[in-house]
Amino acid sequence: MNLWRLEWLRLVRTRSWIALAAVFLFFGLLGPITARYMEQILQRFAGDVIVTLPPPTPATGLEQYLGNVLQIGLLVVLAVAAGALAFDQPIERAAFYRSRVGRVWTLLAPRYVVATLATVAAFVLGTLGAWYETVVLLGDLPVGAMLLGMLLTSLYLAFAVAVTTAASSFARAPLVIVPVAAGVLIVVPLLGLLGALRDWLPSNLLGSLVGLVVGVPPVEYLRPALVTLAATAVLLWLAAARLQRREL
Amino acid sequence: MTPTAPAAGDAPSLVTTRGLGKVYDGVVALADVDLVVPRGSVYGVVGPNGAGKTTLLSILVGLRQPTSGTVTLAVERERIALVPDTPSFEPWLTAREVVALARSLVGLAPSAEAVESTLRRTGLADAADRANGGFSRGMLQRLGLAAAMVGEPTLLVLDEPAAALDPAGRRDVLDLVSDLSGGTTVLFSSHILADVQQVCDTIGILRGGRLQFQGPTRDLLAGKAAPAFTVRLRPPVDGVVEALEAAPWVHLVERPGLDRLRVTVTSTDAAERELVRTLADAGARVVGIAPAEVDLEHVFLELTG
Repeated sequence: MNLWRLEWLRLVRTRSWIALAAVFLFFGLLGPITARYMEQILQRFAGDVIVTLPPPTPATGLEQYLGNVLQIGLLVVLAVAAGALAFDQPIERAAFYRSRVGRVWTLLAPRYVVATLATVAAFVLGTLGAWYETVVLLGDLPVGAMLLGMLLTSLYLAFAVAVTTAASSFARAPLVIVPVAAGVLIVVPLLGLLGALRDWLPSNLLGSLVGLVVGVPPVEYLRPALVTLAATAVLLWLAAARLQRREL
Repeated sequence: MTPTAPAAGDAPSLVTTRGLGKVYDGVVALADVDLVVPRGSVYGVVGPNGAGKTTLLSILVGLRQPTSGTVTLAVERERIALVPDTPSFEPWLTAREVVALARSLVGLAPSAEAVESTLRRTGLADAADRANGGFSRGMLQRLGLAAAMVGEPTLLVLDEPAAALDPAGRRDVLDLVSDLSGGTTVLFSSHILADVQQVCDTIGILRGGRLQFQGPTRDLLAGKAAPAFTVRLRPPVDGVVEALEAAPWVHLVERPGLDRLRVTVTSTDAAERELVRTLADAGARVVGIAPAEVDLEHVFLELTG
């Protein structure tokens, strides 16, 4: 028994992995179907109005999937991560860990890494589901673009968990950590309104999967990928530094 | 300056603080505390709620930083184990997993045998594979002790370990603490003075964040308590109380039971000469008279009252 196994057990025994896998797989399977039959769905509610949409493409199927999963799915990710990372609450439990482990990073690393791996695994599962259904219903997807897009989106998810980690150093309760982290993730894209920053923001990676599939050159995502990596490292350092100083 | 009596056997100290202070938002929680915990002792920190006991222990184990003063530990941090007043663990971990995790956290090699023997010693062997989320308060307290003991600590810090337990649970916890004495230094905070008197060989009395006394329990009981006698009478005793209170050598008359008085006196000599006469003059039907056992509660009240 060690801190890494503890995090694995947390995923399994709190059923967090089911919540993660279910939400990503659900939207993975729903997205391409929704794209394929959107015209018929809208027509049912349109009455006498004739609904005409452009023919769906494979990219449309992915867009439907990502549009849902990177909002609702991301909230589930933040909740699961906050549950693991709020280790200073309750105080008596925090005392058990903090009084035995001197360096807070020893406690933080397994929680961050396992939460991130579980998130990425759920995302990959959902994306594979969306990929399969898209191929069946809408047409082929380029393998290289898909794999690179999954990698870049996973990088963003690792960043989102790092934001939650940093939030846990400012708040103790998961019910506070989640909205703080969500608020940061919502505000970051708004920085794009400042023209100079637009091409550097981590949130650009959210569109990388669809972008690469429709032919955007991979180099376009190099800058946001590097910024995301650096920001993730800085956020984890910040969290560890603040948590190390925080008194119980 | 903290009044300090010589430690038991003048053993080398395991924990020493000098001028320790802690202020929270302008409120003084600890002030100028010079604590000396002898190696191998069972040291009881006693004081009323809000005296600063938890703050003091939290600073000693590194969970809080002092505002002033120094802490000197003759022990590595990994060899210090804290048991809070209400131990808490992930509720889905079994008792066995909690104890095994606690061992790994302090860097000891995994040992199923050590885990099993600790569970047996704390009376949790039958509940070893149950999730601790369903444990009673007493079982959680024992699990907290097991998680501490499996790490083979040099210093075991217990914060109010029996405060919320029923008599049987308290008995179990105090027995475990007694078993540890000698090998492990135990620092034990409590406001239940009978518990402290029972298991601690050294005592520090904390009040308002200041250490008011520190030293061997026997010195405290012998040197600080005023002499007293226990008088057993047949009721009614009301007139007897008034007669005793009027005597110049009587400091205090308490009535711990219907047929029992505790008479604290200013002079043992005067009491031995006058007590029987005063009782007889008051028409008391005396069943028995004996020197009162000095207990920590009375000493504590005298020091802090």
